[in-house]
Amino acid sequence: MKQFKIILKFELLNYLKNKIFLGITIFCVIIVAAVMFFPRIQSAFKGNDSTNEENNASVSITNGASVSVTEMPDSSVEGETTSVQEEGIPVMLVQADTKENTQMVWQAFTASFPDYKVMTADGGISYIKEQITSGEAECAFVLENLTSYTYYVNNLTMYDNNTVVADETLKNLYRVESLSAEGISPEKTREIFSVVIDHETNSLGKDQIKNFFYTYIMIFALYMVILLYGQMVATNVATEKSSRAMELLITSAKPASMMFGKVIASCLAGFIQLTAIFGSTCLFYNINKSLWGDNPMISSIFNVPVNLLIFMLVFFVLGFFIYAFLFGAIGSTASKVEDINTSVMPLTFLFIIAFMVVVFSMSSGNIDNLVMKICSYIPFTSPMAMFTRIAMSTVAPYEIVISITILIASVFGIGILSAKIYRVGVLLYGTTPKISSILKAVKKA
Amino acid sequence: MTLDLKNITKNFGDKEVLKGISFLAKSGEAFGLLGRNGAGKTTTIRILMDVFPADEGEILLDDAPVNYKDIRIGYLPEERGLYPKKKIIDQLVYFANLHGMKTKEAVKAIDYWLDRLGMTEYKTKRLDTLSKGNQQKIQLITALAHDPQILILDEPFSGLDPVNAMLLKDVVKEEISKGKIVLFSSHQMNYIEEFCNKIAILNEGKIVLEGNLHDIKHNYTRDKLIVSSEHAKSILLDLGSCCSAMENGDLLIQLDSPKDKQNMMQRLTSKYNIDKIKVFEPSLNDIFVEYTSDGEKGENLQ
Repeated sequence: MKQFKIILKFELLNYLKNKIFLGITIFCVIIVAAVMFFPRIQSAFKGNDSTNEENNASVSITNGASVSVTEMPDSSVEGETTSVQEEGIPVMLVQADTKENTQMVWQAFTASFPDYKVMTADGGISYIKEQITSGEAECAFVLENLTSYTYYVNNLTMYDNNTVVADETLKNLYRVESLSAEGISPEKTREIFSVVIDHETNSLGKDQIKNFFYTYIMIFALYMVILLYGQMVATNVATEKSSRAMELLITSAKPASMMFGKVIASCLAGFIQLTAIFGSTCLFYNINKSLWGDNPMISSIFNVPVNLLIFMLVFFVLGFFIYAFLFGAIGSTASKVEDINTSVMPLTFLFIIAFMVVVFSMSSGNIDNLVMKICSYIPFTSPMAMFTRIAMSTVAPYEIVISITILIASVFGIGILSAKIYRVGVLLYGTTPKISSILKAVKKA
Repeated sequence: MTLDLKNITKNFGDKEVLKGISFLAKSGEAFGLLGRNGAGKTTTIRILMDVFPADEGEILLDDAPVNYKDIRIGYLPEERGLYPKKKIIDQLVYFANLHGMKTKEAVKAIDYWLDRLGMTEYKTKRLDTLSKGNQQKIQLITALAHDPQILILDEPFSGLDPVNAMLLKDVVKEEISKGKIVLFSSHQMNYIEEFCNKIAILNEGKIVLEGNLHDIKHNYTRDKLIVSSEHAKSILLDLGSCCSAMENGDLLIQLDSPKDKQNMMQRLTSKYNIDKIKVFEPSLNDIFVEYTSDGEKGENLQ
């Protein structure tokens, strides 16, 4: 026990004195500070900005108005485009079968695409294509009639939803036209179409939308910390072995003390780092709370229930131990630090798969699917799977108890097994031994 | 204090590494543990230090099983290595702490040893900034700082220059005179001959020879003579096949039996001008080679 404390202190100081550890922690805190203080910084500059924006807005309105009245009917593409392009607003060309329709579509699109300078085009298809390829215009809608069109664009980006907006606009246009043909006034029609349904959701269990962000952040933190610190434990052990400090260590301290000392020290270091980052995030948020107030995503992140934080802590510690013990054991079987990356690969894969299952289940919305249910009892996956289920769905208390019990039992089992592998592994040099031969040796030891 | 290993066996998998090791070391004495590479020396030392248990056999300290909580053992492993990136004082204190010392007394002891070995100036340096020999002296402190009752030195002299070797010799002699049990493992036979009263030679997991070094040498069959003479060529012709020339020009004469010693000496001194004549005593090196070389295992010596 005394040795364990000495090792724990030594290893923990190793982390805390490590310049990279300190550097990363401080860097993260600075990033967090920058994000959290962003609204304050923004508002400091807002004084000038807001007046500009207002001016811009008024200008655009008058522009729009003036265009629609005076310029539009015979606005030609040439001459205008260059000046417009200079302002940085992309140009959208529209052309319909008749001049009336073109004008009608132009009006509707101007309203639907506020980010574009919508213009009518007079030339033929080849002229429009040329305008697009040369970059004079970004895209063009060529309508055969009011319900059918061809969309021309140079490079179709992933986020281009112009056709969706256009479809909707044209649909509305068509409906209004059709209904007014039937004798219903356009105003009445618009009123009918623009009716808003008033609704309210009352979730009796968990609200997944609200919980999604903080659950995701917590799962991701768990993932990062376990993977990073697990690797560090493995490297730490392999370094001691390859520098032959192990020769002396193994004769000076019990392998179990060394294993537990190292793993608990890295767990504490990880916990200190997380606390520093999340703690400063909370602190900075509270300083700037008034400025963030209206952002529902941000405020949902900071409204994590306390019991969930406790679960987070429990699953973090237990999950961390399971993996860190195994990482340590694997580290002890490698002769060279270079071998570590390949040796830990199976374990890393196992962990990444667990993470993937959880994240995909989270995004699919079906948290309580069969895979997740099974995963929430397997010690390697339960820290993430069970935690996610607790956070985003309703889990019976007995399920949580069973999961945590299995996890605790596994931590002890794997801890003891790892210490044994460690004792055998650290004295083996040369090629990395086979798992079977290690287990054989462990069984004997 | 006596340290008594009794019939220690150890298997790793199907491989029999130790096949019944027994020896007795006493305090105030240096004990030489010899053996070829892979003979089982390190395994014996590790069992002795409780790194892993023996399959069979027992280790007695003053006729009682060793209680590792009460005994302090200092160990200089053959494979040297500490933390290369750490300050020397930090790691020395760490190891002293692991051996049960309080930080305050550890620092005091370490300061003494740094001074004794002329290493004080490196106290706050990183280990990897030191030369190999100096790193070895630092490692020696990890074995000595906690004032161990049993000191195990595995190849302590390798890599040391003659001055440092002298310093280490003095330190080892001091430790022996303080009444400690010193176990010495080395392939440099001259050091073993210099320090060790008792030796044990391990070969393929067995002790093939154990005892007082002086006795071993003396009990050697005394049927060989070494002769130094200006008439070496004539003697060679005279005695024929039982006489052979050694590298340094001396002659080695193999007698039929140790009893012929006196006759042969008289015969030679009466006939030739002899500078030196004495009974051949093998060096430890010779004994070692004879006992551990493949096949014969010393059958022709005893």
